[in-house]
Amino acid sequence: MSDIIRRDPRAEWIIRNRLHPLHDQYVSQEEGGEIRGPSGIIRKFPHKVGFIGPNGVKRIDRLKGNAASATGKRSSATQEVQLPLHQISSPEFYVVVVPDLVGGRLTSHDKDILGLAHKLISEHGGQGAVAALCFGEVKEEHFDLAGVDRLIHLNDPAFDGYAPEARVQALAYVDTQLTVKHWLFPDSVHGGADLGSRLAAKLGERPATQAWQVTAEQVVCRGASSSLDISRAMPRIAMLLEECGDAIDETRHEASSIEFADIPLLEGHIVDKGLMDVDPNAIPLAEAEFILSAGNGIHNWDQFHQAAATLGATEGASRVAVDDGFMPRIRQVGATGTWVTARVYIAVGISGAIQHMQGIGQVDKVVAINTDAGCDMVKRAALSVIGDSEEILSELMALVNAHRNQASSESEENSHAA
Amino acid sequence: MVIDWLPSVLIVALLALGVIGALRRVNLWRAGQPEKVNLIAGLLAMPNRYLKDLHHVVERDKYMSRTHVATGGGFVLSMVLVLVVHVFNVQERIVAWALLGALALMLIGAFFVFKRRLNPPERLSKGPWMRLPKSLITFAVTFIVLTLPAAGILPEGTGGVVLIVVLSIGIVIGLGELLFGMGWGGPMKHAFAGALHLAFHRRPERFGGGRSTGLKPANLEGAVIGVAKPSDFKWNQLLGFDACVQCGKCQAMCPAFAAGQPLNPKKLIQDMVVGLAGGTDANYAGSPYPGKEIGNAKGSPTEVITAGLVSQETLWSCTTCRACVEECPMMIEHVDAIVDMRRFLTMEKGETPNKGSEVLENIIATDNPGGYAPGSRTNWAADQNLAVMKEKKEADVLFWVSDGAFDMRSQRILRAFVKLMKHANVDVAILGDEERDSGDVARRLGDDATFQSLAKRNLATLGQYKFKKIVTTDPHAYHCLRNEYADFDANGALEGVEVLHHTTFLNQLVQSGALKLDAFKGGKVTYHDPCYLGRYNGEYEAPRELLRSLGIEIAEMERSGFRSRCCGGGGGAPITDIPGERRIADMRMEDVTETGAELVAVGCQQCTAMLEGVVEPRPEVKDISEILVGQLVEEVH
Amino acid sequence: MPHKIISLISVGRHPQSGRARRSDQDGRAVELGLKLSGSQLEVVHAGDSEEPVLRQYAGMGLAEITILEQDQSMDAVASLSTYLASRDADIVLTGVRSESGESSGMVPYILAEALGWPLVARVADIVEIKDGTAEVLLALPRGQRRAATVKLPFIATIDSAAQEARQSAYGPGLRANMVAQSGANELDELRANWSEAPAKPRPKRLKMVKAKTAADRFKAATAKPAGGSGKVMKNESTEEKAQAIFDLLIEEKVIR
Ligand SMILES: Cc1cc2nc3c(=O)[nH]c(=O)nc-3n(C[C@H](O)[C@H](O)[C@H](O)COP(=O)(O)OP(=O)(O)OC[C@H]3O[C@@H](n4cnc5c(N)ncnc54)[C@H](O)[C@@H]3O)c2cc1C
Ligand code: SF4
Ligand code: SF4
Repeated sequence: MSDIIRRDPRAEWIIRNRLHPLHDQYVSQEEGGEIRGPSGIIRKFPHKVGFIGPNGVKRIDRLKGNAASATGKRSSATQEVQLPLHQISSPEFYVVVVPDLVGGRLTSHDKDILGLAHKLISEHGGQGAVAALCFGEVKEEHFDLAGVDRLIHLNDPAFDGYAPEARVQALAYVDTQLTVKHWLFPDSVHGGADLGSRLAAKLGERPATQAWQVTAEQVVCRGASSSLDISRAMPRIAMLLEECGDAIDETRHEASSIEFADIPLLEGHIVDKGLMDVDPNAIPLAEAEFILSAGNGIHNWDQFHQAAATLGATEGASRVAVDDGFMPRIRQVGATGTWVTARVYIAVGISGAIQHMQGIGQVDKVVAINTDAGCDMVKRAALSVIGDSEEILSELMALVNAHRNQASSESEENSHAA
Repeated sequence: MVIDWLPSVLIVALLALGVIGALRRVNLWRAGQPEKVNLIAGLLAMPNRYLKDLHHVVERDKYMSRTHVATGGGFVLSMVLVLVVHVFNVQERIVAWALLGALALMLIGAFFVFKRRLNPPERLSKGPWMRLPKSLITFAVTFIVLTLPAAGILPEGTGGVVLIVVLSIGIVIGLGELLFGMGWGGPMKHAFAGALHLAFHRRPERFGGGRSTGLKPANLEGAVIGVAKPSDFKWNQLLGFDACVQCGKCQAMCPAFAAGQPLNPKKLIQDMVVGLAGGTDANYAGSPYPGKEIGNAKGSPTEVITAGLVSQETLWSCTTCRACVEECPMMIEHVDAIVDMRRFLTMEKGETPNKGSEVLENIIATDNPGGYAPGSRTNWAADQNLAVMKEKKEADVLFWVSDGAFDMRSQRILRAFVKLMKHANVDVAILGDEERDSGDVARRLGDDATFQSLAKRNLATLGQYKFKKIVTTDPHAYHCLRNEYADFDANGALEGVEVLHHTTFLNQLVQSGALKLDAFKGGKVTYHDPCYLGRYNGEYEAPRELLRSLGIEIAEMERSGFRSRCCGGGGGAPITDIPGERRIADMRMEDVTETGAELVAVGCQQCTAMLEGVVEPRPEVKDISEILVGQLVEEVH
Repeated sequence: MPHKIISLISVGRHPQSGRARRSDQDGRAVELGLKLSGSQLEVVHAGDSEEPVLRQYAGMGLAEITILEQDQSMDAVASLSTYLASRDADIVLTGVRSESGESSGMVPYILAEALGWPLVARVADIVEIKDGTAEVLLALPRGQRRAATVKLPFIATIDSAAQEARQSAYGPGLRANMVAQSGANELDELRANWSEAPAKPRPKRLKMVKAKTAADRFKAATAKPAGGSGKVMKNESTEEKAQAIFDLLIEEKVIR
């Protein structure tokens, strides 16, 4: 079966090593199977030509590598369209994007910026490459599809966790090593704005911040709490808002790595002491992401608290639940309580009085559990289930517990297998 | 006889001590801030104020009013005659008989006081007040016996030394209470302080049936704004506190007290007395602030009140409903005092509780308590086709929309009212985005700086246009415009302008036939008097007349009219939200339910919000304009 | 030994009315400063000493505010860095981003660079200062926190998750001393070349479906738009109802 993956360690090594004399040849073999022989004649690699069709029959590739590649992957199963590869062999300049990589993966914000980086390169003209500079643990598997031509992955432990001082030194060092036309950062709370500002201060550049309309010449930035548009010449460093550009979706990129050894680092003044273990109920109600809120329709309070703990939700309450002494005052949501910003708000036995609704105006998804299908909370909710709160909560807890058990046994299995 | 002279000497001595005490008391009041009062006119007006105005209030309790006339009148008369007979030794029989008559009157009165005190209602203070009827009786009996010889009923010298001694003790007890106690802070202080309080009252307009409910502007330039220490009150406010008879009528009416919030207006006034005289509340023998023990409060004229005398929650529990003021026989001004102290907390300490500071910040930055964009104030009226003053410049009626413009529920009231006006072809315009919050909430929360700034800016806007009437659906704005803006209206923007509540205005339209209405066919209806419409502005009739014009027979609540119970929504109380045992709105809804009504009519968006905040099932809540709109007779053209 | 703390303040802007106000984060920076050093706190503003908003800050109980008097078009950083260099402070607190003007958030970074101090961003609280080191809590999104230590002297930008600024009282605000001294007079030349206009609304990007097939395109065109009223489950079994909620929680990634 051609399905079976036969590894060729040597080929893999050559492909990884950009400096190997056969590197280009192997890479292009991987891609499409065409190489130019020493005499300049195009040769085909018969084994590489074509691909395995959906029903397992080998077909000749007339799409010039735009179809799924047959090698290296269990590709007979993958029906993905193989996107055309965008290649920059020897870049004249770089646009370096420093993505947030929340949870080790590119965010949609990061991807927009990578897309924008390509736009800038094409506007500048010439051979430019988009480099993504990543620190620490990286879980992203599709840098190639996000438009990363070159990947700079700095995973010295010095950059782990909260290490803005070390990171900015690395950026400044990279700046001396490559021709960087632009440094692009997401203007975000995930560290992008911080790092961008540090680099700008260090390099003495005046960055564009909260930029949202960007061309190679000009940039429009939000100012004065987003009430002002400031138009100015596009500087070398920019921090960009979400949706500043369109993510790459029609090309594939090399994502080949650039290594930097021994970046000189001065010792910093800031020491990371790690993430705090925050109990969901210790999170200020206004900041909580997920709230389970109780009203007059809760009759089993022990169960409610247990449900909140099981779901890992922060507890909220209507005023009636507070007035009746079941919940402390700080838990009250609404006009005279807290205005919450949760993404998901489960209102259990809350009718939806206007004073309560004021407090959940900014909530993304409301789930109502109520016996009364006609109440105002049901009108507001994205999902309403009509029924007794106690029954539904107990069923929900059972589901969550089952899910957790499964997840933990899986991870156990994994760790046994490892 | 040897000690014949004793009674006269005792009388003179106690009188002298009483005068000394009184002067000392006067000095305590003088520690307060200066306030211009016409002393002579006040003193001249005093008897009339006492007989008419004070008794008008006392009259609500017939038993007490008769008792008081007998006791008080008897005492004043007998005291004068005692001096004539026993000190100046006038030996006219007729005078002695007159004295006997006066004493008998007083004795009867004192007897009824005694009877009331056998089983006193909770609102009355105990302690020295329980002693008072006995002292009164002792006084009357003593002097009756003492006068009998002068009246010729008993021969001179009857009873000998023993009787003289007994009588002397009686004199000491009786006059000790009545003269000495008057000056030195006993229960009888109320007579002396009360009389002067009536003479030098800070709101003389209240006498003779007048109404004076607007708060006085705070002096924003002083070294301290508002009242921090008892001595920061005006002198006649201090005098007013001293007039309190601890009858507890205010307490019985106070919604916050009934809801178990830590406020009792009687105790508050007594604490002010403790403050002005210095000392502790250990001798206070009335009901406490709910949830707070007696005996821990102490203060002096120069100590900050909230640092030990009165807690901040007490001051923030008040809804400024004025039920206490309306009920107080001594015409004491609780609300003025409370707001004065709030001014200090807000403008000097920055300690407005709960959502207070946020609301004030919003008002400052956006001219509305919700912090909405000022440019969205007229969004509600996008489909209403209402003229805006900026373009129209002139109209018969200026409709003051108030901050209900930002609230979906209140907008229903606004739309209903607009529809009624259109129907009656009223020439009306609104200020649109030029309108600002009236400043009501800011002022009640103690931020007079913001109130004054809003008042001045609103007046400047109003001054640009011509109109004959301002009509508003919001009794709070109504009160500000009608009673409080005048202090800042240097350019006469509101001169000659009639400020009306929408129920008054609608009633005029209905009575004049401009609005035709069908009979109402729903169930039983009751009416809730909003404090700021009723007690603050005396409008009890128009809303009722409107309901009657729909053929509704109002099922009145026990507490209605000037005795209406607050909904809990005034004075910024929902914002400061001081916890109690119950919600005021729930209690009011119980009042409604007791009448068996299915619908409660109100005339205020705030009352609507408060009453609708009560958990269902409960009677429906509607503004009168909403009820009227449902009954409009659509004319077919 | 009490530490020398300086809070920097600017003129904020109310998000709804656009009116000048005490800026939210700067207010929190003052609040934190008051917590750390009480009446010793020094509060500094580069700008106009007649600015009424300064009284709102003063109303938090400040006896005085130091003003580096300068024109709006002048560069605030120049004044501030000269001033701070002369003050020998331990901690300088600022907001993350000003509410008016360029709002770049660069001021603290440039100051830190100029002074050669470390900077910690988005601080929720400063828990303890001991032996020349401060223990700080950094605000992460959604109520999460990170602990870190930083050597004095340093600059901290204060996040909106820090303790809210206390209420401003009118009286003390009115009476506070505005101590003005002249600031630097460096024209912000770069900025002079920029053009400013009221913000244009940014249309939210539509979920553009790059349909690969006609069927996809059809689906995209006919799909119910997001929003509108939600799904109501009435007669389903309790299990199904709970499952629907559970699915939503998984989809929204609040349960992992
Ligand atoms: C000035 C003011 C400020 C206020 N501020 C606030 C505020 O900040 N926050 C606030 O929450 N309220 C506030 N309120 C009160 C508000 O108006 C409502 O009274 C309150 O929100 C109602 O609470 P609730 O929904 O829990 O109770 P209810 O209105 O009694 O609703 C209970 C709901 O539970 C349902 N139910 C009953 N049994 C069950 C069951 N077994 N299973 C499932 N469902 C069941 C019922 O169908 C009903 O919909 C304020 C009111 C006023 C006047
Ligand atoms: S105004 Fe109303 S709430 Fe305030 S003390 Fe008087 S009765 Fe009580
Ligand atoms: S304040 Fe007035 S109503 Fe209240 S106890 Fe004193 S005299 Fe009576």
